[in-house]
Amino acid sequence: MNTILKFGHRLHTTLQLLGYFASRQRFFLFPLMVVLLLGGLLLILTGGLSYVAPFVYTLF
Amino acid sequence: MASVLGISGLYHDAAAALVIDGTIIAAMQQERFSRVKHDRALPKDAALSCLRFAGIAPEALDAVIYYEQPFQKLERVLVSTLRGFPQSFRQFPRAMRAQLADKLWVLDAISETLNVPRRRVRAVGHHESHAASAFFPSPYERAAVLTLDGVGEDTTTALWFGNGNTLTPIASTAWPQSLGLFYAAMTAWSGFEVLEGECKLMGLAAFGQPIHREELGRVLLLHETGEFELTLSFFDRFTDTELGFGKRLEQLLGERRDPLIPWDLTTPRDQHYANVAATVQCITEEAVLGLARRASRETGACNLCLAGGIALNAVANARLAKESGFDRIFVQPAAGDAGGALGAAILGSIALGDRRPSAMTSAALGLTASASDTVDLCKHLGLSARRVSDPAESAASLLSENKVVGFVQGRFEFGPRALGHRSIIASPETIAIRDRINSVVKQREPFRPFAPAILADSCSQYFDTEPSDMTAFMTTVASVHASVPTPIDAVLHCDGTARIQTVTADAASGLEAVLRARVRRGEAPILLNTSLNGRNEPIVGSAIDAILFFLAHRVDALIVEDVLVERQT
Repeated sequence: MNTILKFGHRLHTTLQLLGYFASRQRFFLFPLMVVLLLGGLLLILTGGLSYVAPFVYTLF
Repeated sequence: MASVLGISGLYHDAAAALVIDGTIIAAMQQERFSRVKHDRALPKDAALSCLRFAGIAPEALDAVIYYEQPFQKLERVLVSTLRGFPQSFRQFPRAMRAQLADKLWVLDAISETLNVPRRRVRAVGHHESHAASAFFPSPYERAAVLTLDGVGEDTTTALWFGNGNTLTPIASTAWPQSLGLFYAAMTAWSGFEVLEGECKLMGLAAFGQPIHREELGRVLLLHETGEFELTLSFFDRFTDTELGFGKRLEQLLGERRDPLIPWDLTTPRDQHYANVAATVQCITEEAVLGLARRASRETGACNLCLAGGIALNAVANARLAKESGFDRIFVQPAAGDAGGALGAAILGSIALGDRRPSAMTSAALGLTASASDTVDLCKHLGLSARRVSDPAESAASLLSENKVVGFVQGRFEFGPRALGHRSIIASPETIAIRDRINSVVKQREPFRPFAPAILADSCSQYFDTEPSDMTAFMTTVASVHASVPTPIDAVLHCDGTARIQTVTADAASGLEAVLRARVRRGEAPILLNTSLNGRNEPIVGSAIDAILFFLAHRVDALIVEDVLVERQT
């Protein structure tokens, strides 16, 4: 299955998740989820922790 | 008219089940293929095997239903870890990794793995799946349904009312108030592995006295309304999810048992653990009994269906049958998370307009083992194998010689019990044979009991019960009569009970034929039946698994369909 279709599935699920939290009025979870998902995306795009580690250390 | 695949997985006991036009076609656990016990992986092999068995392609499926709502689960994990801060600080990264790495995307992964359009993949609730797996395959038109496990999305215990094609939620209990958490924590405290050791704790209980009621009464409070309440300070669910119990429980009951020390129930140390196990069993039974009585009051139903890991507690089920006031009780044989796949498939099927399945009479929903594969492999390995005209007669003859026999017939079972399709069978007469199988074949704790399989029409000769909806699937226990026609010491618990399986040709034709052959030979219509697996191994699935088992474990003979493999001395 091609990468674009897989990415489309993930994007669809992410939007559904945010919609679910909104319907449950769990707005305080939004920032946490956005940070975690962006962190995850960064790890996937860079291919692993070794490239991200310096930024993580800088941030924290 | 729909084809629906149910999937459970990513926690433990991953499984797939296929329902076509309202008929249960197949249900299989991933562990039978991957050979990883309690395998949690997305059950691709099990799903594809279900489809191959039915002869349909994944594209032909009308729906694929996952047994749990991933968003609700993530919400509960996030909210409970945030509420538990700062104790949950260490658990947070692990919980997030588990949720965000695969569980959140499980519907996408199912679609991509099986090549099914994403719009056909959806999820239903964890306890709804459990309830459906218990009620819809039951023989009842109306029933109260209790689902009891560690935790689903947020629910740990739920009461439903089943009526025809519908399941109506009545009441539920939310995490962390969980009987499953209590039982798992006590399993870990007793030195057993969680998910693997719960049945060991139940077996150990028979060797103790429930003398710790006062202490454990403070840990699990039982209210007169039928509800229960855990004192959460005894549990450490935030920092140690592997064990679940906290320091305060060790202060109350003593230190956790070291899992590496061999069991010796003649020592005061191990007798203490047996006494605590007996008390845990007793208090769990009372908790379940309270819930069942409440279910009876609130639904007015005469029948009860049970599912969830706690429903596999056969001793508690026997007490329910006697004291809960229900006329009949049904426990689906794969009552744990594997059964969720079946429930999900049935829910999907009913949602698409199909009827509910007819009553389940056999757990043999897996694949068959090939006799020709067995012959070929034996020839290749230099094993002595031959075709026999009457495998049941051959098995009965071997049992007469006190031989221990691996017995593979028909499709493998769905669920944790071997019910005569992938079994080790032996004569039930002496303690010596039980000890031999425990120490040499299964290599497990000496106190572990074995179960009897008895012809349904002979049940009352040995036990104080008639065949019931539970005895067919080995999900209850019965007391043996003070005087029985032949000794059955190898299959009795020390309190004179046994986890019986009543055998009929419908449920297990191969095993029934062996029992009939024993009767023809003038022997008892009962035998020892235990699962065909070694320590920490899944039960055998294929012919190759069976041969590998035969090579690794000291059974005297193996029968795969009509092929007899004997050990050369």
